[in-house]
Amino acid sequence: MIQLLLLPAALLIALIFGIPLLRYLWLSFHADSVITSLVAIPNNGANWFRLFNDQRFWQDTYQTARFAFVSVSLEIFLALGIALLLDQRWRGRGVVRAITLLPWALPTTVMALGWRWIFNTPNGPIEQFAKLIGLQHLYGLQDLNILANPSLTWLATVVGDVWKTTPFVALILLAGLQTIPNDLYEAFDLEGGKPCAGLFKITLPLLQPYLLLGLLFRLAQAFGVFDLIQVMTGGGPASSTESLALYAYLNAMRFLDFGYSATVMIASFLLLVFICLFGWLVIHQTKHFREVVK
Amino acid sequence: MTSKRAWALAILLLLTSFALVTSWALILRPIQVNILMPASIAKSTAGLVRQFNNDHHGYINLQVTQGPQDTEAMSDLAISSLLLGKSPYDALLIDVHWLPKYARAGWLTPLDPWIEQQEIDSLAPGAQLGNSYDDHLYRWPLMADMGLLYWRTDLISKPPRTPEELVKVSQRLQQEGKVPYGYIWQGRQYEGLSCVFLEVLDGFGGQWLTPGTDAVGLDSSASVKAAGWLRDLIISGVSPEAVVNYSEPETLQAFKSGDAALMRNWPYAWGEVQKDNSPIKGKVGVTTMVAAPGHTSTATLGSWGFSILKGSSNPEAAAEAIAFLTSTYAQKQLFLNYSYTPTKATLFKDPELLSKSQILPDLAKALQHTEQRPQTPVYAQISDVLQRQLSSILTSQGELKTAMDRAQVNTEQILLAAGETR
Repeated sequence: MIQLLLLPAALLIALIFGIPLLRYLWLSFHADSVITSLVAIPNNGANWFRLFNDQRFWQDTYQTARFAFVSVSLEIFLALGIALLLDQRWRGRGVVRAITLLPWALPTTVMALGWRWIFNTPNGPIEQFAKLIGLQHLYGLQDLNILANPSLTWLATVVGDVWKTTPFVALILLAGLQTIPNDLYEAFDLEGGKPCAGLFKITLPLLQPYLLLGLLFRLAQAFGVFDLIQVMTGGGPASSTESLALYAYLNAMRFLDFGYSATVMIASFLLLVFICLFGWLVIHQTKHFREVVK
Repeated sequence: MTSKRAWALAILLLLTSFALVTSWALILRPIQVNILMPASIAKSTAGLVRQFNNDHHGYINLQVTQGPQDTEAMSDLAISSLLLGKSPYDALLIDVHWLPKYARAGWLTPLDPWIEQQEIDSLAPGAQLGNSYDDHLYRWPLMADMGLLYWRTDLISKPPRTPEELVKVSQRLQQEGKVPYGYIWQGRQYEGLSCVFLEVLDGFGGQWLTPGTDAVGLDSSASVKAAGWLRDLIISGVSPEAVVNYSEPETLQAFKSGDAALMRNWPYAWGEVQKDNSPIKGKVGVTTMVAAPGHTSTATLGSWGFSILKGSSNPEAAAEAIAFLTSTYAQKQLFLNYSYTPTKATLFKDPELLSKSQILPDLAKALQHTEQRPQTPVYAQISDVLQRQLSSILTSQGELKTAMDRAQVNTEQILLAAGETR
């Protein structure tokens, strides 16, 4: 009976998620491009064959994964610090909590434009600051040229992403911190435990599910990064910041090759499912772990 | 009984007259024509549109939808509306290099029924290019547009004509401390980089794609020389390193603030440097791009033009609106007020325009040396491949010859795949 009540929700999911996914899967086995006058013609998996031999796809996969793992790790680390701070009782905490959320509330396009300006050469503040302390002499350069240097630009996009989404992770962790009962700490204190040890013995183990929840949410988002990259670098220089989503977008909207674009989308979706499955397995493990702690 | 019949008659009469009046009003309702344009052009043509609507009051009502300013964003909007099947627009302003793609996708209506051959002949030679695909006219240019070399008349007595001269004069000015950089251009990984490269490539005697064939010339010695010359501009400091992130606005900004003696840009920049608040007003000349001795200089053909969409229910009315917006009268207005380069050959000799603008003869000359980007529906792909490799050369990520070889192979693969499925 309960299952029957879930039917409307299941239908909704099928409608907005299942059908487009199936349509894309179907499209990935067809040639549908400007050359075929936008008519879908079955091509016996030629798109998939092309994908496996497409150097650019693999390079973009690496670049996307690099971006996702580095930015998400930094976010979790910083967010933990912020959440711990915001969980303490101090004057003006409410105001600071609200302010912390501001970057998250900004539209990505707007903040990406802002970062593009901040990293701009030669007028951006970062470049000016580097000049002030003579950083560029270390490398024997005239300017740092952050957005024009393929080995630096991706880090600039990481900075933009970390700035924007750390508050989101902090919010999840803060919610997690508030579920930890205070008497645990009091008992720990009575037994003569040091506050610092409390962090590792109580807080972190009990926060683990929330850490993994934040990790999962953010990984899924970072893996599909599009707007930030599109506005900040457009995928350049030398395609060093191009993400999988950007590649799929280029194929569809610029090259009018919808068949191959669908293939790239489905492939990155499968990769993401794989990553999330891995995360889910870990969460499953920790639930068990949490029971043991109790 | 009779009163009932009278009532029925009265109601019938009322309904009939109501239906008559409504259909009459519907017939008399002006035909709606909607054209999508980038914001800046929509603003510049607003006066002309008002005039057209006054002249065609009660007959045609022309509406302009303002699209985004950025060319790629404009393309995204146009394409997503076209993919709907029933586009809300009757006509679009399209960039010259979109034409083969749009025509091949089957989105455009041929303009042949509305535009006579003699009208095509009345266009300046450069403006006649890039309007047809598969022997049909699909696009009618609003303005002419081509790559130009801007030079500072207060620093140089005459503009450089060869790549070598350009480097020499730049380095001299830099050594004398007159400018921090010699030459600035568009080096960002985007369509503008392909335009810059095409001019240099032709200037060294190379060819990107031989028209009518699938012969790609990106690994030729001229092509390697051209890419190497651009890279060396950055290495030798003639161009700033930041040029690899420059698109048109950044280039113009740097030139305006006196950062360089030479700039590659489109004709719109002329209006900008001649504005009253411009520090270099009256100190700028334009000419065509440099070319190696023995080769002619080339200007990449740009420009926006009107195309009528296949889904339009009023193509005649749209064609009438387009004819007005591209008429000699309209072109004169647009040139005088917004420095849009005219397309009609006679306007380049018009005394009124000549007295108002000193660069008109230079524009006419550049328009005689325009070169089109490859005319293929897969242009966006092959341009993307080229931009990618050029960007890796300019940022010293890739070795010159290897990168150009890769561009060659990738381009051949794309053309081959496009040919196979045809």
